[in-house]
Amino acid sequence: MTDRSNPPIRAEAEIVAIGDEGGANRRLSLRVTGWPGFDPGQFVMLSPGPSTAVPRSDPLLPRPMAVYRASARGGAADVEILFKVTGRGTALLGAARLGERVRVVGPLGRGFPQPEPGERAVIVAGGTGVASVYELAARLAPAIGVRVLLGARTRDDLLGRDDFASLDVALEIATDDGSEGAHGVVTDLLAAALDGDGEARIYACGPTAMMRRAAVIAAERRRPCIASLENPMACGFGVCLGCAVPLRKGGFALVCRDGPMFDAATLAWEGLS
Amino acid sequence: MSEAPTAVDTAVDLGGIRLRNPVLTASGTFGYGTEFAPFLDLRRIGGFVAKSLTLEPRHGNPPPRIAETPSGMLNAISLENVGVDAFIREKLPAIPEGVTVVASVFETEIDRYAEVCKRLSGVSGIAGIEINASCPHVKSGGIEFGQRADVLGPLVRATRRATDLPLLVKLSPNVTDIGEMARVCEAEGASGISLINAVQALEVDVEARRPVLSNTLGGLSGPAIRPIALRMVWQAARAVELPICGIGGIAGPEDAVKFLLCGATAVQVGTSNYLNPAIAGEVADGVAAYAARHGYARVADLVGALEGLGG
Repeated sequence: MTDRSNPPIRAEAEIVAIGDEGGANRRLSLRVTGWPGFDPGQFVMLSPGPSTAVPRSDPLLPRPMAVYRASARGGAADVEILFKVTGRGTALLGAARLGERVRVVGPLGRGFPQPEPGERAVIVAGGTGVASVYELAARLAPAIGVRVLLGARTRDDLLGRDDFASLDVALEIATDDGSEGAHGVVTDLLAAALDGDGEARIYACGPTAMMRRAAVIAAERRRPCIASLENPMACGFGVCLGCAVPLRKGGFALVCRDGPMFDAATLAWEGLS
Repeated sequence: MSEAPTAVDTAVDLGGIRLRNPVLTASGTFGYGTEFAPFLDLRRIGGFVAKSLTLEPRHGNPPPRIAETPSGMLNAISLENVGVDAFIREKLPAIPEGVTVVASVFETEIDRYAEVCKRLSGVSGIAGIEINASCPHVKSGGIEFGQRADVLGPLVRATRRATDLPLLVKLSPNVTDIGEMARVCEAEGASGISLINAVQALEVDVEARRPVLSNTLGGLSGPAIRPIALRMVWQAARAVELPICGIGGIAGPEDAVKFLLCGATAVQVGTSNYLNPAIAGEVADGVAAYAARHGYARVADLVGALEGLGG
């Protein structure tokens, strides 16, 4: 999980599997030739809709999507993306068919920083933020203790449960309506988990309110918290400057170039939408 | 990604800036060039216009800074850059040899514009300067330099005196008569003009009943503005003899050819760099292929070759 170990590529990818993950959630598996591998937490820019002879101009911009996991297929890799259909771009991706091609740029951004020796990992994720942390859990689980806390509005919205259950991790779930796991928000599970573990490093990805609460809970217990941000961006590689987030020390960082991971204590959370 | 046909001479002269082909990339959409290294050999394109520089490093606006709109996007980044000295010291040396670099200058007062131009002059590796005249002029009540001839004229005069480098002036589309602004640039000694910059625009979040951007107003770019840009390039080309660099929503080779036909000597690819970081190379190759397909020995012969004008 070192910085910039995987130089990004630009490729046309074939959709080789499509999954309905319940509710508005979808899973796409993209066969990408020349995929250089990725660090957990890195993302790709995915152009909505298949590429055609005439470039699509509406919707114009590609969508940033976390790499959920990837498996080698000879000289290519099948790269999995989990997302929720929320707008025109994701609706096009959600309506794509097997065999269609989409345009991919990536992997982009920096991966999650490693835990320090002796630390255990507590991963807390909500909504589509779950997609950013699966590979982190999968790679850390053989080496150190990993606790995974997943949150969703309701049982149907819960992403990745079966995948996480197959890993050697302690898995806990919270839903807002109590339809699965604990009745309440996932950060309540975080507080309980940290009170029993003084050596935890927190990794958080999800709605801003969830990550902000996770940052507060971690700071109260003097534990490090890494937040993975999801912001709209036009390019993904540091030139549009659209994904700026305010820093506590003043000024801005770019989610695509400086993140998407940030030490939660360095962010000016009141300026994040 | 076919190679450009060798039979076609793709070189053009943009006001003293000699380009191997007429395709540059637009300031603010191409960083400081090195960000594109994984995707595009910069020697494949005519050159690039770097992110606008101010005297001091500047932070930009708070988020949200961008919004997607039909076939386009709004941005309000506002002046964020490393400053002219850090550009010369750190960014310029990182650009590979053989890449044509045009520096862009953006300030709030005329004397500050001139000072940035002075600092860029005599620096090895800078082929020319583009003056971004779309910044609000504080002393004129916040109106853009490029929006009034009596504000634009003194800016071009002062920056022309400040440097011997080829001097392009990037014009705002937010004017009534683009020909008048082009003539001011010509009279004050500009080497060429670049147009159009982004179109001033507004997008609204209807649920929140607020502007989407923190700055309220932003600049619209992308294919949505291309017909407006073509119209303004065509009008400017009829108003002045100056070479023109056409900008606005270029997403493929045919779009670039349209600007050449309307009188542009060269073009800049902007927003499309975000969607496809290799697009400028594809446009450069495609323009040469178009020329070959239509029997032109030189890409420069396409400039102003629009026929059948009515109306």
